[in-house]
Amino acid sequence: MVTGRTVTASGYHFEPGFVFSHLGPLGHGLLRTLAISAIGIGGASAVGVLLGALIALRIPVVRQLIRAYVEVFRNTPLLVQIFFLYFALPDAGLKLGAFTVGWLSLLLWGGAYNVENFRAGFEAVEPVYVEACRALGFSRFAAFRRVVLPLGSRIALPSVTNTLISVFKNSSFMIAIGYPELTDSAVDIVSVTFRVFEVFIAIGVVYLALVWLFSVWARLLERRLAIPGGH
Amino acid sequence: MPIWVTPVARYMARGLATTAGLAGVSIAVSVMLGIVLGALLVLPSRAVRLLVRWYVEIWRGLPIIVTLFFIFFVLPIIGLTFGTFVAAATGLCLWGSANVAEVVRGAAQSVSRGQADAATALGLPWAGRMRYVILPQAARRALPPLVGLVVNLTQQTSLATVIGVLDVLQASQRSIERLTLSSGATHAAPILGAVLVVYFVICLPLTLLSRRLERSL
Repeated sequence: MVTGRTVTASGYHFEPGFVFSHLGPLGHGLLRTLAISAIGIGGASAVGVLLGALIALRIPVVRQLIRAYVEVFRNTPLLVQIFFLYFALPDAGLKLGAFTVGWLSLLLWGGAYNVENFRAGFEAVEPVYVEACRALGFSRFAAFRRVVLPLGSRIALPSVTNTLISVFKNSSFMIAIGYPELTDSAVDIVSVTFRVFEVFIAIGVVYLALVWLFSVWARLLERRLAIPGGH
Repeated sequence: MPIWVTPVARYMARGLATTAGLAGVSIAVSVMLGIVLGALLVLPSRAVRLLVRWYVEIWRGLPIIVTLFFIFFVLPIIGLTFGTFVAAATGLCLWGSANVAEVVRGAAQSVSRGQADAATALGLPWAGRMRYVILPQAARRALPPLVGLVVNLTQQTSLATVIGVLDVLQASQRSIERLTLSSGATHAAPILGAVLVVYFVICLPLTLLSRRLERSL
């Protein structure tokens, strides 16, 4: 037995150093994971605030359309949505690449959840605040922008960050359409070298570290934005 | 109706049965295990809490796909070989139970401190406080997010496709491939559209129920 290797019952040689010789492809995978996650997270936040506001402002027709979008995307699995965008849309003449489907599916899915998060936040703001604004001569829109938006967003923040963390984790779904993000790169390496243990432990640690980092940052943000004495 | 529809529908119905089985097993085990773990998270013992917290953080933090690959490809190395269905169910249960535990903990801790203090003053031991005071109140608060989790778990069963379980999504994929080979037309839009509709019809009522429970709190 070579030193630095451990052999298990089934004869698997454990080489902790193995991962380091494949940092290149894994790093590229991680960059792609971060790329589609970043676009998905940014887009899902924007969609959430905008459409959540349109629902909270009770604009007819628009409101029902947004509701329909939210219910469809929240009540069907993301993986099926990805398959639909990638395999079914070409039938309708719309051919999207794996990268586009990657960020677009994350954006649409996370956006639907965020609309619901922001709507709940906006509606949790006490109506007396809006009434006070209206009494002071604010327009409905100004009352929303100056008071409901800043207060409601703070209320929504924990559930929004939860959704955004899910968006990041769900970028791993893109392995199903062969987009070479982190999980797909790992499986690629494994299929050639059979070093399952080292590679999967490594990417598991990377995912966990990033998820934890994100949630710690979110908690700090919550504390920084908190209004002294609550609202 | 075009001639390809009937065999495809029959094949996908079998896949749907597998999906339902997978969802049923995962939901049942996740809820039972999760309630126990959640109760452990509010135990006075620090060591137990720490241990369960690690379990929760790891299985909630990992993408389910990575967990599934881990169970399916890595565990055989140490002699634990699972079939695809069992591997998928195990992965979903790890994720589901961790999430249920977090919901139960949150609900138990949202019951006000005064309630527990009052129960202590009445001479109830820890088990009695949990059984008669904390958990009955926590259960009402935990119900809406639990129904939401059931919806989520049902949707996540589709990930079993990735390790080769013949669920409704896998059945649709194979049907599309077969049709492409035999006739040249994929029919991907109606087939995948049908899968979306099936999930939507199952999940929407549960989502609405969850929302109603939340309002009635």
